[in-house]
Amino acid sequence: MKKGEIVFFAICVAFFGFMFYEGLDLAGQGRAGEIGSGLWPLLAIGASALFSVALLISSVKKYRGEGTAEDRTPEAIAEQKRQRITVTLSVVTFLIYMVVIPWLGFIFSTLVYIPVFALALGERRKSVLLISPFLLTGIIVAVFAKFITIPFPKGVGIFAEFSRLFY
Amino acid sequence: MVDIYLQAFATVLMPQNLIAMTLGALWGLLAGALPGISTSMGVVLLLSFTYTLSPMTAFVLLIGAYLGGITGGSITSILFGIPGEPSSVPTVIEGHALAKQGRAAYAMWVYLLCSIFGGLFSVFVMILATPLIANFALRFGPPEYFALTVLGLSVVSGLSGGSMLKGFLSCFFGLFLATVGTDGITGEERFTFDTVTLLGGINFVVAMVGLLAVSEIFIEAEEPFKEYKGGVEYRGLLGELPPFSLFKKYWLTMIRSPIIGTIVGALPGAGATIAAFLAYGEAARTAKHEPEKFGKGAVEGLMAAECANNASTGGSMTILLSLGIPGSNTTAMLVAAFMIHGMQPGPLLLSTRPDIIYGIFVAMLLTNLLLLVLTGTAIRLFLELNRLPYSVFSAAIMILCVIGAFGLNNSVDDLFLMFGFSVIGYFMRKFGVPVAPCILALVLGDLAELSLRRSLLLSGGSPLGLVSSPISVILLAGALFSIVYPLFKKPKMLDGV
Repeated sequence: MKKGEIVFFAICVAFFGFMFYEGLDLAGQGRAGEIGSGLWPLLAIGASALFSVALLISSVKKYRGEGTAEDRTPEAIAEQKRQRITVTLSVVTFLIYMVVIPWLGFIFSTLVYIPVFALALGERRKSVLLISPFLLTGIIVAVFAKFITIPFPKGVGIFAEFSRLFY
Repeated sequence: MVDIYLQAFATVLMPQNLIAMTLGALWGLLAGALPGISTSMGVVLLLSFTYTLSPMTAFVLLIGAYLGGITGGSITSILFGIPGEPSSVPTVIEGHALAKQGRAAYAMWVYLLCSIFGGLFSVFVMILATPLIANFALRFGPPEYFALTVLGLSVVSGLSGGSMLKGFLSCFFGLFLATVGTDGITGEERFTFDTVTLLGGINFVVAMVGLLAVSEIFIEAEEPFKEYKGGVEYRGLLGELPPFSLFKKYWLTMIRSPIIGTIVGALPGAGATIAAFLAYGEAARTAKHEPEKFGKGAVEGLMAAECANNASTGGSMTILLSLGIPGSNTTAMLVAAFMIHGMQPGPLLLSTRPDIIYGIFVAMLLTNLLLLVLTGTAIRLFLELNRLPYSVFSAAIMILCVIGAFGLNNSVDDLFLMFGFSVIGYFMRKFGVPVAPCILALVLGDLAELSLRRSLLLSGGSPLGLVSSPISVILLAGALFSIVYPLFKKPKMLDGV
């Protein structure tokens, strides 16, 4: 975790450093007598960068002070590995869902997403995996698309034709 | 005066108005509870139905939706950790933490009673002190607004979590995000990287849903698999209703928060979000009972935020009715409703159509009471949602987030922005960087920057213009105090940073 914290704050420093560099182009732009477009963002980014550096230094000091030796049991290592796999799977399935939703439309992509995401979280009950996608998708389409008429992604081609049957 | 109120009661209690009030409140509760459908959107959607209604029925319907929306924003916040409204973010922090401890029903009752108390308080203030509040709000110029935003941000950043540095990092990151897009004064593009998506800036709903709701699911995914989300135990009304001693214990918060809410609500552009955060920050700063629980399920924090955000409705309505200035997006929609019915809100309306003004006072009073009954009856029903299998429940929350983000602009780009924020939110939470200051800064960033730049323009570039009035001096001193105070009061907060 401590290594992770160092990496996180190092990325923050790099990100805000890059943004500060980008923001320098804005400095001085604006009408006469006006502070311009650049001052406020540069203040915000500059402060963020300073806080990130402070937190990075603090994390490195903590890491050095407490040492690198961590007495972790095999169970703890296995648990951490399980956590990482589950979170990565959740993130990846969510990303894929958003990539395919404009192409397949809401109904098809949601029907696939629900059981895959549930599986990623560890769900193994067949009844839940089989029934819930249809039930949940049906309720959501009925409430949001039909009743409240919120726009839903329709998809393209045959998927769009299918979506138009419902919303 | 008594005659006018009796007449207003008689009008509002007519069957068609009572039906309109109930429908409006139910619609508002639904709109407020769903992320992506704001209270103002809920009111807008009803506007078109009011053309054919009588003016009083139309206003009763819209007031129901307005108050219902503000109240409903906290239902999903407590149960699922999804803020229906930006003003519900403090409720997510404390209310959802209580729900995760198996005290969802208790948190729901605390939220409901405090919301209604805050709402009723502000209505009485609105009735009694309309001229006073309107005059005070009129004194706010750009320097005062800048000072107010600085106070709001510093209170939240200084007291959010265990490390002030992390709180301020989150706050400044939010301020930076608020600058993305087209500059409101010069029209300059800032950090858009030549993309059309970022031209209009980062929508705070997209950021809020990603940072808070989706990242929460990723954090929860780390836990071992569980069949159900959590306890749905409901011990009946008497078993779950918070005791009177709780309100007695936190009497100062119960008095201070609605006052903050009403005053901040009366300031145009400030609204429920600043009110909720300010009251929450004040409660955290001055907490005498269990201050260590803030961020982990502090009842006092929940009470403060709920009292304040509902109290802001009375403040907003006060200056709308007395000056014709909308204090929030939703009251701006109500201006449209006045115009639809051939009226112009403002000082003249009180003398030309007192029936409407006093009718609105009475409608707000009765709608708050109706919301107590409606939401109180439905609490058990809301809790039953926790019986859904956890895996499906999580998927449903993700899908609601997708619908909320997509529905804003009908844009797939917003989905990817939301995804980006969910990953950022996950790592922020993982490494102890609080997300609430970031969200508040994103919401207030525009107002803070524009107020600063206008103040400097007015003072010819002199920073002394920012402290030119007693109000701004007091507010900035309060901001400084809220940063310095925790350093002395809770030195352990800086441990390890």
